[in-house]
Amino acid sequence: MKFNKALALGAVSGVSVLLLAACGSKSSNKSLATDQTLNWVETSNLPTMDPSKSTDIVSATALNNVDEGLLRIGQGSKLRPGVAKNYKVSKDGKTWTFNLRHSKWSNGDPVTAKDFVYGWQRTVKPKTASQYAYLYDHVKNFSAVNKGKMAPSKLGIKADGDYKVVVTLSRPQSYFKYIVGAPAFFPQNQKVVEKYGSKFAANSKQAVYNGPFTMTGWNGTNNTWTLAKNKNYWDAKATKLKAVKFQVIKDQGTWLSQYQSGKVDELITDGTQYKQFKNSKQMHVRNSASTFYLEMNQRKGFFKNNLNARKAVNMAINNGQLTKDILADGSQTPKGLVPTNLAKKGNKDFADAAYVKSGTEYNLAQAKTYWKKALKQSGKSSMTLNLLSDDTPAGKKTAEFLQSQLNKLPGLKVTTSNVPFNVRLSRSTKGQFDMVVSGWIADFPDAISFSSLFTSNNAYNRGQWKNSSYDTDVKNAEGKDANNTNARWNDLVNAEKTIMQQQGVVPLYQQTQSQMLKSKVHGVQYFPTGAQWDFSHAYLSK
Amino acid sequence: MAKYLLKRIFYLLLTLFIVITVTFFLMKLLPGTPLQNQQKLSPAQQHLILKQYGLTKPVWQQYLIYVGGVFQGNFGTSFQFSDQPVSYLISSRIGPSLLLGIQAMILGVIPGILVGALGAIKKNTWVDTTTTIVSILGISIPSFVLAVLLQYFVGLKLHLLPIADWGGFAYTVLPTIALAASPFADTARFTRTEMVDVLNSDYIELATAKGLSKWGVIYHHALRNSLIPVVTIIGPLAVNIMTGSMVIENIFSIPGIGEQFVKSILTNDYPTIMAVTIVYSVMLMVVLLITDIVYGIIDPRIRISGKSN
Repeated sequence: MKFNKALALGAVSGVSVLLLAACGSKSSNKSLATDQTLNWVETSNLPTMDPSKSTDIVSATALNNVDEGLLRIGQGSKLRPGVAKNYKVSKDGKTWTFNLRHSKWSNGDPVTAKDFVYGWQRTVKPKTASQYAYLYDHVKNFSAVNKGKMAPSKLGIKADGDYKVVVTLSRPQSYFKYIVGAPAFFPQNQKVVEKYGSKFAANSKQAVYNGPFTMTGWNGTNNTWTLAKNKNYWDAKATKLKAVKFQVIKDQGTWLSQYQSGKVDELITDGTQYKQFKNSKQMHVRNSASTFYLEMNQRKGFFKNNLNARKAVNMAINNGQLTKDILADGSQTPKGLVPTNLAKKGNKDFADAAYVKSGTEYNLAQAKTYWKKALKQSGKSSMTLNLLSDDTPAGKKTAEFLQSQLNKLPGLKVTTSNVPFNVRLSRSTKGQFDMVVSGWIADFPDAISFSSLFTSNNAYNRGQWKNSSYDTDVKNAEGKDANNTNARWNDLVNAEKTIMQQQGVVPLYQQTQSQMLKSKVHGVQYFPTGAQWDFSHAYLSK
Repeated sequence: MAKYLLKRIFYLLLTLFIVITVTFFLMKLLPGTPLQNQQKLSPAQQHLILKQYGLTKPVWQQYLIYVGGVFQGNFGTSFQFSDQPVSYLISSRIGPSLLLGIQAMILGVIPGILVGALGAIKKNTWVDTTTTIVSILGISIPSFVLAVLLQYFVGLKLHLLPIADWGGFAYTVLPTIALAASPFADTARFTRTEMVDVLNSDYIELATAKGLSKWGVIYHHALRNSLIPVVTIIGPLAVNIMTGSMVIENIFSIPGIGEQFVKSILTNDYPTIMAVTIVYSVMLMVVLLITDIVYGIIDPRIRISGKSN
């Protein structure tokens, strides 16, 4: 019934229909190697294969290759069809209808709309204690169901027959299409989940798969596992690899030796190794969806309402030197708060569209001028500020560098505190800092994952920078313009420009991932958010 | 003897209980949580997850529940592996650790005794000098440096043995050598010093004067008497191997508990830290008990209840 209503509504107001072209594997003139076995490395153990409980990159990567949600995210954040052949969004952006293809689980069961309903309800209900359930926050009745105040069946997802899923959102969310690609939104086979109970997906045998691969050889705690081609997968003909063998290597030196001896096909380099190999043809440097930035405490005191002070801090920091000489691990100078290659409209990258030169500029002379004005405004002649940062190698290097840069401002003395991650979080949330080096990784490829952080009352806005025009832009993007792609894009671009012009935060560096990859490996997809790798279209050449 | 054993086992359990208590409260002082995604969770969601792990109860209740569980073999649920009981984590990973530990102990102690004895017998000759140099090298090169050197030369350059990973005897050779180096050197030095002392003693002279063969004297009188102090250092050597295994397992990517221990400390996974501490304590206490029993076998003077009647 609900579905019919949505369709009727759509018919009147014009349904936005997005048909997804099947993305066939590109035919290549390179001849395939006879043994299509890829050897991959993880630096941590696989903690779980339960889509509701996965929180880390290792399990997200594995799940993304052995299971499949409604849609898949492809190269450059372009969507590919998953279990859904196509989908429709109602005019008000609140009703999403996904038409499913006839596909199978690895045990032969059909993948139906009921599997999605069951999987989503299981992730959200309090008993599961999923740490990624918050991704559902736009789905109708999420918070009541998640708190146990409403039955899971009230969650905004319904099966209409076996091959149609209807999702109701409480408010429009244009990027919902990306979110449904995350493991927390995968279908789950009720029969299998209930058969194994708390042991479900605690090893590779007690699970069932619907993705391009299946998993073997994982006993729950060991250091190796294998993804083997899933012959039951609907697009199995596009899967060229016979297997992807994973090995956990925690020692960076061992990893290098294994790579050099040809036992493994890839190596994520650390700082030293990056320097050694940065000119190699096998080196690939990729943007990750993560920016590190400096937050200045504007609750009270020096930085509050003192734009000159914030501008001075920004201009005194040489970001180029920080990334090239200090971190020297391939990290890049940011263009703004939102990372490069996170979000795109057509071919335009968000970070380029919203670029404000002064927001990340280094100009010491100018910085000193701003600083003198700032001191005058606050009526002080000298100042001691504490800089809070992580106690990781990168955190320490960053803090020491910033200290040396900022001490060049006349009358400023910077002290540093390097603390464990948890402590940094709790101190910065409570506002016990003058300046703090924070970082954020986007969960999905949309600028809002960063922009929403710095609205006035957001808990992650630890410096409590406040700007009403910024708040309005973000609110419009989430509200009145949520269904208007252009208007929404402009809202977010304006918001980004505002925070850069007002120097609400000082962007420091964008993390990258530098990887050595054997030249015989082709077609492995890298995602800056969520699951890191997709092997479904990868192959090995001779 | 049985009475002595019972008494020892009682003390062993008591020590274990103290170890559990102290470790538990020390761990509670660390800021560890099972929250993997703390930054992005609301306080209500955090509370929900902590409740699942039983961490919202007062600490004393958690302690009683924990101790009760330990005596039933339930060490709780790991924070890193969701829904994986720590007891399973340990039982599935202890095999490689034990195998390596035992191999390293054998490879360290037996050749160590032989080389040490040889050095003492051939005192002040080139044999003695060589064995001394080898044992000093064994002590001064840290196991993780030796491990990397072995990986580089034997594994990467000569392709003789696997660089890392697990799966068959060949994979155990390099880590065993890296682990055994320091116990080997310790045993060799100790045996040499003791043996030199013993060889200079009156009863050896007497035995020689009685016309026993040189090797007879060495085997029956010298070696046996110099082994008593050597047995004493087996306990510390076992500790040495256990701590060494944490680094070695990490370097060679061995799916053992030492490697897991390092990871659980870094991620504040305290149910695992607690359980591994308990396992290590038990292993050490058992080694010490065995050494005490072995004393009696080697030296009748130390036997607990002698047949004096």
